[in-house]
Amino acid sequence: MALLVESTETADWLSLCHAGLSAAGASHLGAPTFVCVGDAIEIDPAQGFLRGHGTHVDPNGALRASVCGVLQRINKLVVVRPLKSRYIAETGDVVVGRVTSIAGRRWKVDLHTRQRAELSLAAVILPGGIQRRRTAEDELNMRGVFKEGDLISAEVQAVRGDGSVNLHTRSARYGLLGEGQALRVVPNLIRRQRAHSHELGELGVSLILGCNGMVWVAPVGGGEGEDEAARRRGNACRVANAVRALGRLCLPIFLGTVMGVVGISVEGGVAVREMGGQAFLERVVEWEAGRRKEMDVD
Amino acid sequence: MEYVTPEGLRTDGRRPRELRKLGCQLGTLESADGSATCEMGFTKVLAAVFGPRDTAGKLHPDRAVVRCQVATAPFSAGERRRRGKRGPLATEQAATIRETLAENIHLELLPRTQIDLYFHVLQADGGILSTCLNAGMLALADAGIPLKDLVGSCTVGYLESTPLLDLNYIEESGGGPLLPMAYQPNMDKILMLQMDKGKLPVETFEVLATLATEGCRAVTGQIRQSLMNHTKQLAVARGSV
Amino acid sequence: MWQKNAYLKKTRQGNVVKVVREHYLRDDISSGTPLDPQCSPSDAKLSADARHYLVVDTNVVLKATDFLEHSSIDDVIVPSIVLQEAKSRNLSAYHRIRALAADPQRRFYVFANENHRDTYVKQKDGELINDRNDRAIRAVVSWYKQLLGDKMQVILLSGDRENRRLAREECGAEACSVQEYARMRTDDKELLDLAAHWGQQEFDEDDESEGKSKKRRRIYEDHRPLSSLTQGIKNGTLHQGVLNVSRYCWHEGFVPSSIGQEIRIEGVSRMNRAMAGDVVVVEIVPDNVASRSGSRPGAADGPDADEEDDGYDVGDETTGLEASAVHGVDDAICLQGPQDDDSSTKPPSGQVVGIIKRAWRTRGYCGTIMPPRDGKDFVPGRARWVRFRPKDRRFPHMMMRTAQADQLLGKNIVAVVEEWQSHRRLPDCRYVRTIGTVGDTEAETDVLLMENDIATSPFTPEVLACLPPLPWDVGPADVADPHRRDLRHLCVCSVDPPGCKDIDDALHVRLLPNGNYELGVHIADVTHFVKPETALDTEAAQRGTTVYLVQRRIDMLPKALTEDICSLRGNVDRLAFSVLWEATLEGDVLHDKTTFTKSIIRSRAALTYEEAQTRIDDDRLTDDVSMSLKALARFGQILRKRRMEKGALELASPEVKLSIDTESLNPTDIGLSQVRLANKMVEEMMLLANSTVAEKILSRFPSSACLRRHPAAPRSKYEPLLKALEPHGVSLDVTSNKRLAETLDGAVLPGDPFFNTIVRMMATRCMNEAQYFGAAQYSRSEYYHFGLAMDLYTHFTSPIRRYADCLVHRFLAASMDQEVLPASAHDVDTVKGVTDNLNVRHRNAQFAGRASVTLFTLIYFKQKGTVTEAARVVGLRKKSVIVFVPKYGIEGMVGRILSGGEEAAKWDYVMNKSGNGVVSQSGKRSLKVFDSVTVRIEVKTTQGYEEEVIMSLVDEDAAQSADADMDTADAMDET
Repeated sequence: MALLVESTETADWLSLCHAGLSAAGASHLGAPTFVCVGDAIEIDPAQGFLRGHGTHVDPNGALRASVCGVLQRINKLVVVRPLKSRYIAETGDVVVGRVTSIAGRRWKVDLHTRQRAELSLAAVILPGGIQRRRTAEDELNMRGVFKEGDLISAEVQAVRGDGSVNLHTRSARYGLLGEGQALRVVPNLIRRQRAHSHELGELGVSLILGCNGMVWVAPVGGGEGEDEAARRRGNACRVANAVRALGRLCLPIFLGTVMGVVGISVEGGVAVREMGGQAFLERVVEWEAGRRKEMDVD
Repeated sequence: MEYVTPEGLRTDGRRPRELRKLGCQLGTLESADGSATCEMGFTKVLAAVFGPRDTAGKLHPDRAVVRCQVATAPFSAGERRRRGKRGPLATEQAATIRETLAENIHLELLPRTQIDLYFHVLQADGGILSTCLNAGMLALADAGIPLKDLVGSCTVGYLESTPLLDLNYIEESGGGPLLPMAYQPNMDKILMLQMDKGKLPVETFEVLATLATEGCRAVTGQIRQSLMNHTKQLAVARGSV
Repeated sequence: MWQKNAYLKKTRQGNVVKVVREHYLRDDISSGTPLDPQCSPSDAKLSADARHYLVVDTNVVLKATDFLEHSSIDDVIVPSIVLQEAKSRNLSAYHRIRALAADPQRRFYVFANENHRDTYVKQKDGELINDRNDRAIRAVVSWYKQLLGDKMQVILLSGDRENRRLAREECGAEACSVQEYARMRTDDKELLDLAAHWGQQEFDEDDESEGKSKKRRRIYEDHRPLSSLTQGIKNGTLHQGVLNVSRYCWHEGFVPSSIGQEIRIEGVSRMNRAMAGDVVVVEIVPDNVASRSGSRPGAADGPDADEEDDGYDVGDETTGLEASAVHGVDDAICLQGPQDDDSSTKPPSGQVVGIIKRAWRTRGYCGTIMPPRDGKDFVPGRARWVRFRPKDRRFPHMMMRTAQADQLLGKNIVAVVEEWQSHRRLPDCRYVRTIGTVGDTEAETDVLLMENDIATSPFTPEVLACLPPLPWDVGPADVADPHRRDLRHLCVCSVDPPGCKDIDDALHVRLLPNGNYELGVHIADVTHFVKPETALDTEAAQRGTTVYLVQRRIDMLPKALTEDICSLRGNVDRLAFSVLWEATLEGDVLHDKTTFTKSIIRSRAALTYEEAQTRIDDDRLTDDVSMSLKALARFGQILRKRRMEKGALELASPEVKLSIDTESLNPTDIGLSQVRLANKMVEEMMLLANSTVAEKILSRFPSSACLRRHPAAPRSKYEPLLKALEPHGVSLDVTSNKRLAETLDGAVLPGDPFFNTIVRMMATRCMNEAQYFGAAQYSRSEYYHFGLAMDLYTHFTSPIRRYADCLVHRFLAASMDQEVLPASAHDVDTVKGVTDNLNVRHRNAQFAGRASVTLFTLIYFKQKGTVTEAARVVGLRKKSVIVFVPKYGIEGMVGRILSGGEEAAKWDYVMNKSGNGVVSQSGKRSLKVFDSVTVRIEVKTTQGYEEEVIMSLVDEDAAQSADADMDTADAMDET
């Protein structure tokens, strides 16, 4: 019999987080079923099943999981949802992406999805704001609107049959993004919510949590002098680091958690650059544990 | 050079049918879609998966295209040596890994995309191909790419008339035949079996193939455990699922 | 459980590399003792009721291997770190300990301490490797002590004082040195002997590296490094070859070299520690450079005393001139040229500068030890150095350390060479075993068999299982065999030496209707019973040939085959392989009518040579057998004449014939064997058969047939003989074998009947050996057999006693498509391996045979007492001559000339200026080769306990001259 020796060294943020949350007893999960790739999924042969995402039928006819994740049964539908995967676009998602190229009345945008994402000329607000037909001239001036390398926020208009994504920026909320920071986190951490763009007036920071895992943090507000601008920039960094911290610990990222982390950093007098350190991350874990407990109680 | 002492111990103190210390870590490279580090003894490989994504290159309308690159760090062996990504060994290894792992991916579910696998051999002490395959498997699972089954890999060899499991560098240099194998446990299918350097009588080959299957099974057990742990941890961290 | 071993190592190129290795610790390593409840019975190598368990240290394993191998040492725990260290320092000691551990009779357990969780010891910072290893060994001791508690005593056996001290202090365990332990073991006194090997002092690990180096004085030049040797060979300044050593003097020899001539090596320092058979590299030395410790008076085989520097604490014996034992016929001519002759054809001198490969025998050398010089006895039990004298005079004396010197004196022992360092005059050797007492016939026979690597063990059951059951007879299956002709109607008879039981050849002749004669030679069909790839065949191939000693015979095949089943005894049906020729009355053989066939024969008579000769000579006898013999004799003469015309050589190898009393096995008479017409007749028929078969098998198997050749010797080999013949006015023409045969016939001195015999004998010695070979090894022209003047020859006629003949039988049967040869028979390398082995075995058998004759000659002369007899000088050395006694056919070296008085020195002989004679110191007498002398033959005890036949020249003139001197002295007194 082959025998192996297990490695006992793990030192990553995830296990740290897990340890912390478990220790604090805040790891309620409602007993979900976890499956691993290749695991057989029990099905009632009498009932039959509908095969959903993340599953496949092997040559012998048994139903198996294709990814590691949580098993969900909804009536007859059997789905395995992975906890980490590349962003799959759905209509109505707010996304942040970067323009990669321009070709034939379209901007190609990199959203870190599996498929192509395109922003057609017809789907943007033209400078001038009026609705009119797009002419050839417009086409030549596409670069004037967005050029290669520009960061934009947009909304998913449609997901076509072959999987490619159409975007639109027909709203004041969307468009070119200027001075600020773009971060990347695992897309699964960002829940689909009503609002993805947040204005944090006090801090002077605007925050866009793109569903594709791209997060945009920018200082806003008019200039009232150098100090004020500096403060806003500092706050923007603080918010950005908060998002980073949450991303590293694989904690859910939404306004509540972000503000919470910013809050404890300010309370603890933690300098912006120390927000990536182990000490601070541990505190984040503590805070999160506390928050969940409160939620439970609620 | 004695590879197996009369007491039944190998150069590093293992018995012939024992695997080395196996370590799996997931998510080691934040910028990749999926990443993993696999250690078999002192052999350490970092695998990174990018994709499935759209690229400017050639894409297939029905399924995903898989590309693979293996790079060995110059500091990976005892003496510092630049081996690069383009050497014949690297090309061959990359081709083997690509074919094996691609066979395990549901490529038909990902049309018109490309999956890039990058392997970096950080420490080389024998069994590089197997470690790459294991790391690749973990990285693909980490990226959430739909797979057909787990894949475990290990290498067996035959020295001094003894079948040996999971050879280190010294044993690989012993001149006997080497058989890396990749195996899917749930489907009980051998995905890849290669033989380098040598001839074997058929009976010995059968013995070795059986031993390799057992070894791969043990490896897949460890891989599965690592994946499950990681999944659970992620779930806990995410809170309400 | 998992450890990392990282250390820095220097590679061959000189780079420094960090080596990182895994190291797994286990908890499933057994302790090996049944006293441990967790140890499974199959692993328990140690005994439950041993006196104590010993844990050995590396130095004990390396230095005291013999001690550990002693049968009363058991229950030893060998830690694996000790084995590792031993392996890197001394591979042979490592193998011996491994053999002990693997031996089921001995209780040695290898404990894998490096991988055991509890006994693994990690190297501390700044700790030396040796100290760490010592700590590991002590950890083993502690662990065992803890495990066994009171149930068993655990002792550390170590030569390192410090290690022992720490063991006692830290582990509370007993620790002793090898001698202390030997003293403890009062039950076995032999252990004390073995332990005494290392004298009074302990050895510390550092001793070997430094310490004694200051006292050492280099006696020999260091051998040059391999790189400079290969360089020298490449650019031609150095020469490589196998060292051949003179039979009489171990520090005189030659190396055949690519420059055509042999390079002579003379002198101990020029020999530079090389021994006979070594592959050496020599450098040519200009002649005007004298050899350092060349040939001093009385130094024929070794340096003198003054060996205190070398660390031997026993005085050395001056060996004096060794008038060595009588030897039988040998093939090394021993004419030597003087050092300062400036003849241009003199071979160059050289010195050994390196040894590529040692030819030290792993089976050891037989010999005796020499008694102490001071004449006292050996003290029993006291370890000392003694001098070991190998029986083969081509090897130097060796120094052996033993405590049993008193018991070994007077015995034939076997010793193995260990090493020969440059500060030691003689090599070191080690005692292995005792064969028997000197002078005991059986022991001496065993010695000569061992020296010639002849196996004497009986045939194994596997081999005997290949034989058909007795009683065996020709059966209906054999008669019905279509390949076998029934020739039982032929009048077949055999002629062999008296007492011969293994008859392998028989002859017949008959008149054919067409007026021609049918000649037939029938050889025992041995390969019918000895099939390839059976145990019987393998054993026969290994033995190669039957060895004929005086009192017994060591058979190649089991007796059942040789004396009964295969032997063509009289009046029984037997299987044979026959060759039939048709010849005219004039003796012309019609070659196209020659047939080969397997047959069944019935020999009418198994005669001795004498009986056959009588029948041939007696005209009254007209029975079938006698008539056949007469006809065969006639054909034999014709064939012989034809061969002589072609240039075949008639060589006289006087075979010493001993008549032995059958009961006591004591020899009753010695003499030269007689060659009669009957011998020659049989010989001619056998030669004809052999050459006919050679042609047949070569035609069918042109690349793998097994043949026999005799290469002609170059002129240079005949030089000494030709030079010796000059003063007698005789010359030999060595340009071709025909010319040589003719001039040999003409080499007669009137009034000197033995002269021709001796010349022939010496000519034979100049020639090369005949050898077996596979047809692919040489080109067609090189197949020539010089001595027989035949283009093609092989051995076919004696398969019972020669394996080569068995091979040829198989080739012949295959060429007749009656048998299929195994694939290995066609493989050129396999055939070469087989023929090389056969050549070696053939040579060894000859040497053994002659040595056996020598032995019995000794016994004969011992009984007979002193004898005075006529002899001829056949060789010259610098200070001695070699003589041959025709009556007894013995030969030996004669040393001092005894003239019956104290002043023997006056009569010492030295080589004269022109190198073809010796002259007495007084100038009055001179001797040349072929001169007649008188010798006294007696058996003396020399060098301790050995008995040898000594010959000494009797100088008839000495008495006269002595009187003459006295007269002169008187005359002078008067005036």
